[in-house]
Amino acid sequence: MIAEAEWTVVLLSIRVALAAVLVALVPGIAAGWLLARWQHPLRALVQGLVMLPLVLPPVVTGYLLLFVLGRSRPFGQLYHAWTGGHLAYTTAACVIAAAVVGFPLLVEAIRLSMLAVDSRLEQVSRSLGRGPMDTFVRVTLPLSLPGIASGAVLAFARALGEFGATIVLAGNVAGETRTIPVAVYTLLNVRDGEAAAMRLVAVSVALSLAALLASFWLSARRRAG
Amino acid sequence: MLELRLVHRFAGRAGDFALDLALESRGPALGIFGASGSGKTSVLHAIAGLYRPDAGRIAVRDRVVFARGGPGAGEASESVWVAPERRRLALVTQDPLLFPNRSVRGNLAFAPGADARLESASGRQILDVLRIAPLLDRRIGNLSGGERQRVAIGRALLADPSLLLLDEPTSALDAELSRDVLGLLMQVKQTLAVPMIFVTHRVAELLALADDCAVLEAGRVVAQGPPVEVLKRPRALGLASLVGVDNLLRVPVLGHDEGGGVSLLDLGSGVSLAAPLCKVAVGSAALVGFYADEVLICLEKPAGISARNALACEVVAIDRVGHEILVGLGLGDTTLRARITPAAASELALEVGRSVVAHVKTRAIHHLESEAVRTAPTPLPSAPRGA
Repeated sequence: MIAEAEWTVVLLSIRVALAAVLVALVPGIAAGWLLARWQHPLRALVQGLVMLPLVLPPVVTGYLLLFVLGRSRPFGQLYHAWTGGHLAYTTAACVIAAAVVGFPLLVEAIRLSMLAVDSRLEQVSRSLGRGPMDTFVRVTLPLSLPGIASGAVLAFARALGEFGATIVLAGNVAGETRTIPVAVYTLLNVRDGEAAAMRLVAVSVALSLAALLASFWLSARRRAG
Repeated sequence: MLELRLVHRFAGRAGDFALDLALESRGPALGIFGASGSGKTSVLHAIAGLYRPDAGRIAVRDRVVFARGGPGAGEASESVWVAPERRRLALVTQDPLLFPNRSVRGNLAFAPGADARLESASGRQILDVLRIAPLLDRRIGNLSGGERQRVAIGRALLADPSLLLLDEPTSALDAELSRDVLGLLMQVKQTLAVPMIFVTHRVAELLALADDCAVLEAGRVVAQGPPVEVLKRPRALGLASLVGVDNLLRVPVLGHDEGGGVSLLDLGSGVSLAAPLCKVAVGSAALVGFYADEVLICLEKPAGISARNALACEVVAIDRVGHEILVGLGLGDTTLRARITPAAASELALEVGRSVVAHVKTRAIHHLESEAVRTAPTPLPSAPRGA
């Protein structure tokens, strides 16, 4: 059976991954739309920056984040001055790390589904009296919803598995930043930890597989629709 | 209705394409006519505000929606850009682009205020004219092509536009459906009195719908005027594939005489016209045309003549054009044109108000159905093939 400590790890992981997707969703939709519709020489650069976390070693991403958000860094200090709290080595840091690493997957799925929306529908909407924002909310967004959903599921799965950036930015604090991958790594380094690690691995495989299947199902629906 | 001066260069893979034209029309229905690639859709999109032209000025119903100075357009004193959604020009495209995530009702109610308009008397009239009331709760995926286009036109009308922009509204439909949609557009124009600018490459559409037309070629206007006048001289316009005709009638079919090879058309006031046998259903309108040269004028009705149509008319106009005389013949509400020589006119002592009989050979009358016209490689055959 799964022990209570392991349940804590699993629930924390799910909470962190959900929060990461929620945090990334609005900027992800904005970036996806921008990359799908913006015709500008700078677009390639923006796209490169957005996709960077996909190819960077997560540890490097984590270090860059720490460089910006760390307790002794300007942004970290600013945050401390505002809230009295810290970002690094907290659950919030886990969420940020997972959101940043999952961001390219989310944006790419949204970008592709928005590219698939016939831009002439948007033109017709404008000519019928709906402004750009109204057109986005009434036409572009609903028509790319399946893509947004499959991107969100994919980003969720990626967030569940996030290790490198998390360990650098958030550390390994039991109950706060010890997500499934961090816990598995920790368990593998202690005597008699293997059985517990195996249980977490099983949960991890099940969750990831379910998320991937959901993503496939959503994109199949998009193609059919 | 429209004042337009437009200069724009499109950079494309197949090379650049330049629009450079001026166009003025009082409407109420302006047809922009041209082959594909002549730039007619680009003109429509400029009016709709779907892109910003390099230079020019566009005023729709006395409202300037775009102005920008530049080479070829003079230095505009004002710089104006009205966003497409604020132009009140609803666009109907060639493929009926309905929002697939909405029902028919959701599409019709899309424009701001359209849901309230849908329930109003004017909204119900639009639904009636377009016969879309029975479709209201259907899903978009279950509609036929003709139904989709009717919904798209209804959606545009329910946006309460000051002007309707139609981009080849019938060309994605087969012959029968396109006639149906064309008939509906004529009703929209007459019953709902909505002015329109439409783009087409079909003569029948132009003749049936337009009060005024502009012919586009390679981004320039090469002719403008009433469609009949413009299409009368197709060769002069380089439009060799098009039909030129002087007399155009859209009249209901009274009946068919298959054995006699004749269809009778209703000219009103109890007068009928014998035309070659056609497939148009009895009661529906047929579009026919014949040259003014094919009309014979007699002072009295002669006997023993093969021409089937002897129409009692009154001379309403006599215009001398070079070495020929164009005689306007009043027949109820319609006016026919006959082209004769000055010698014939003086011999007959024609004068305005005189009663005459106009003869038209049945075989000289041509059905101008959209499909037949589109594939006709030469102007109307004028050689007689037996009466």
